[in-house]
Amino acid sequence: MASAADRPDRGGDGPFAFIYNENVRNIFYQALTFALIALVVWYLFTNTAANLEARGMSSGFGFLWKTAGFETDFKLVSYSAGDTYGRIYVVGLLNTLFVAVFSIVCTTLLGFVIGIMRLSSNWLLSRVAGAYVEILRNTPLLLQIVFWYLAVFTLLPRPKQSVDLGGLGISYLNNRGLYLPDAQPEPLLWFTGVAILLAVAGAVWLKRWAQARQDATGEQFPVFWTSAALLVGLPAAVYLATGAPLDWSIPELRGFNFQDGLRLPPALLALAVALIIYHSAYMGEMVRAGIQSVARGQTEAAYAVGLRHGPTLRLVIIPQAMRAIVPPMISLWMNVVKNSSLAVAIGYPDIVSVFMQTALNQSGYAIEIVAMTMLFYMTVSLLISFALNIYNKRVQLVER
Amino acid sequence: MAAALPPRTPRLGPVRWLRDNLFSSWTNAILTVVSLLIIYWAVSGIWEWGIAGGMWTAENRRECLDANPDGACWAGVVVWFNTILYGSYPDAEQWRIDLGFIVLALWMAPIWLPRVKGKTLIGLSTVAFYPFLAGYLFAGGEKGLFMQAMVSAAIVCFLYNSAHALIGVFAGGRTLAAVLLQTAGLHAAPEKTQRNALLAFLAASFLAVFLLQTGWTAAEVSWTKWGGLFLTLVISGIGITFALPGGIILALGRRSKLPIIRVVCVGFIEIFRSVPLITILFMATTMFPLFLPEGFVLNKLVQVIVAVCLFSACYMAEIVRGGLQAIPKGQIEAAQAVGLGYWKAMGLIVMPQALKFMIPNIVGNLIGLLKDTTLVSIIGLFDLLNILQAVSRDVPWRGLHKEPLFLGATIFFVLCYAMSRYSRHLERTLGGGQQR
Repeated sequence: MASAADRPDRGGDGPFAFIYNENVRNIFYQALTFALIALVVWYLFTNTAANLEARGMSSGFGFLWKTAGFETDFKLVSYSAGDTYGRIYVVGLLNTLFVAVFSIVCTTLLGFVIGIMRLSSNWLLSRVAGAYVEILRNTPLLLQIVFWYLAVFTLLPRPKQSVDLGGLGISYLNNRGLYLPDAQPEPLLWFTGVAILLAVAGAVWLKRWAQARQDATGEQFPVFWTSAALLVGLPAAVYLATGAPLDWSIPELRGFNFQDGLRLPPALLALAVALIIYHSAYMGEMVRAGIQSVARGQTEAAYAVGLRHGPTLRLVIIPQAMRAIVPPMISLWMNVVKNSSLAVAIGYPDIVSVFMQTALNQSGYAIEIVAMTMLFYMTVSLLISFALNIYNKRVQLVER
Repeated sequence: MAAALPPRTPRLGPVRWLRDNLFSSWTNAILTVVSLLIIYWAVSGIWEWGIAGGMWTAENRRECLDANPDGACWAGVVVWFNTILYGSYPDAEQWRIDLGFIVLALWMAPIWLPRVKGKTLIGLSTVAFYPFLAGYLFAGGEKGLFMQAMVSAAIVCFLYNSAHALIGVFAGGRTLAAVLLQTAGLHAAPEKTQRNALLAFLAASFLAVFLLQTGWTAAEVSWTKWGGLFLTLVISGIGITFALPGGIILALGRRSKLPIIRVVCVGFIEIFRSVPLITILFMATTMFPLFLPEGFVLNKLVQVIVAVCLFSACYMAEIVRGGLQAIPKGQIEAAQAVGLGYWKAMGLIVMPQALKFMIPNIVGNLIGLLKDTTLVSIIGLFDLLNILQAVSRDVPWRGLHKEPLFLGATIFFVLCYAMSRYSRHLERTLGGGQQR
C-alpha cells in the first residue's frame, strides 16, 4: 500500500525523524505555550509600568491606610467618612456577605416551595408555578433588580404616610427603607447564648441516642418534637430567668423622618427581594428535577414495606433527591454571591459598589483594587466548592 | 374459565378531568381556589393597569397622570420606541441595521430548510464572513482594502448561499454547483475541470462584486451612537459567536495531557468563573488602558466585548468539558485504533457526539449571556436596559419607570423563551437516537 511508504514511522530514520517523536512534540508545544505566555505577561507588565510612570501614579497597597472620605448608606461595622480605604473594604465585604447570606437562606426555602408546587398533582397550581419559573428565568436579573428598586421600593409612600407593618407600631415601610426594632444587648445576654449552644448540643445527642436505641430495640422516639421543645424552651427559659436582657430600640417618627431602630435602605430591600425571587425560580427547577430523578419504584417499594406517605418522603425520597439537588444548589448559592454584585446598579454599598467603583475612581489604584475584589470572590468560590467536594464524597454512591 | 375481559376504557369528560386534577381532595380544592385567585389577581391587575387604563398618546407624563393616575402611560414608550430599538443611531441610516439583520436571517434560514444540502458549510460561512459585512454596515466609514475584500467575499457568499437554497427548495435538493455545471455543459467533464470551472466562476463573481462596490461607502456612525436593542444584540451576538469555539479550545486545553497547557487553561477558566461579570467589566474598563501601549486607545465597546467574550468562553468551556466527559473512553480509543490523530478523533468522533449532549446546557448558557449583556449598562453603554432607564430621566416623562421596564422584560422574555423552546425541540429531534 502507498500510505505506508508515504508516512514515515515514528522510529523511522532520516535526519528529521525526531519530529515524529511524541515526547519531542509535547515538549515543543509546551515550550511554545510557555514562551507565548511569558511574552504576553512581559508585554503587559512593561506597558503597565510605562503607563503608571507616565501618569505619575504609584502602586502598592499603601493606599489602604489613607482616608477614604465618603459615606455609605448602610454598614454593619462602624464606619465614617474619616476612616480608611482598608475599612471601606471590610464594610463592603460584610455588606455583600450580609445580603448574600440572607438571600441564600430565603431563596432555598422559597425554591423548595416552588419546586414542590411544580410537582403538585393539582394541575392549576403546577401551571402557576411553571409560569412563575419561566417568567423569572427568562428576564435579566439586572432588569428585575432595577424594576424592584425604581418601580416598587422608591415609589413607596413618604415617611409621614409610612406603611405600619402588622399594625403593631414597631416596624414601618416607606420610601426611605424598612424600619425595624433594633436589639440592644445587655450584659447578661451571654447566658442565653450559652443556653442556645447547650440546646443544640442536646438535640444532636438526643438524635444519636434515639437512633442507637432504634437500631438496638426497634422502638422509635419522637425526636422532632422533643428537640423542638428543647431548642425553643431552654433558651427562652434562660432568657426570661436572667430578666430579659435585651433592649429594643423602636423606630419612631420625629419630624420628617424616623429615628432609632434599624434601617434597611430601599436598595438593600430591592436587591434582596430580586435576588431571592430570581434564584428561587432556578432553585425550584432543581428541586423538581431532583425529586423526579428518584425512581418511581422507590416510592412503591417503600409503600410495600409498609411505610406511610410522610415517612416515605422523609426517609426514602428526600435523602435520595438531595443527592441530585445539593450540587447544583451549592453552585446556585455561589451565583447568588456573585449576582449580589449587581448592587452597584442601584447603589447598595456592596464590595463592588464601594470598593471597585467609588474607591477606585477616587484613588485610581486600579490593579490593587481589582485584585483585592476578585480575591474576595475567589475565596468565597473556593470555600463553596470545597464544601461541595466534602458533601459529594459523603453522599457518593458506593459502587463496586 | 371465562376469557379475561378487556379493561374498560374510561371515558373522561371535562367534569371528570376537573375532579381528578383540581378537586380530588379538600386540600386540592383549596389550592385550586388559591391558584385561581392568584391568576385573577395577576391578569386583572395587568388588564386594569396596562390595557383598560393605558394611555397611548400624550404629550407628557402629567397628561397621563391627569387622565388616570393608576393606568399605564404607554405614550412615553411609544415616543421613545425608535430609540429603544436603535439607540441614537441616525434615523436616515437605520435601514442599515434592518438590512444587516435581514441578511443574517436570510443567510441562516437555509439551515432550517429540509431540502437544502451542505448545512455545515452554510453555518461556517455565516460565522466566517457575516461579521465583516455586518461590521461594515453598522459602523460604516472609510473602507480599507481588507474590508473591501471581506465585504465582497461576504456578499458573494451570501448570494451563492441564497441561490443554493432556492435551488435546493425548488429543484428538489440539488446543489448550486450541480446546476452551474449543468448550464455550462460540464456535468460530464472530469472532476478536476469541474472544480476549476467552479473556482473560476467564484473568482469572477468575487471580482465583479469587488469592482461594483468600490464606489459604495456608507456614512460613518460612531459606536457612541449605537444603543438600544441593537447594541444588546450586537454584544450578545459577538459573545455567542465567540463562546463556543473559545470554550471548545479551553476545554480541550483543560483535558490535555500536557501539564503547562492544562495548568494555564484551568487557571484561566477558574479565575473567570469565580468572579462576577461586573468585576470583569470594571477590570476591562480600568485595567485594559493600563495594559496597552501608550497612545493606543481601545474604545469602551471593544473593551466590553472582549470582556464578555472571555467570560462566556470560560463558562462554555466547563459545559464542553462536561459533554466530553460523557463520551466513553472507548470512542477515542476506537478512533485511535483506526488511525485517526488527535484533531481528527476530536473533530470527527468525540465532538459531534458531545455537542449533542451539551445542547440544553449550551442554549441555557447563551440565554444567560443574552441576559448578562444588560450589565454593560452599569459601565455606561446605552444598551436596551440603559435606554429604558433613560426614558424616566427624560424631562417630559420623568419618573416613568414601570412601562419601559415592562416592555424590556417582554422583549427579553420573548427572545429567551423562544431560545429555550427551540433547544427543547433540538434535544428531542437530535436526542432521538439515544432513546430506543
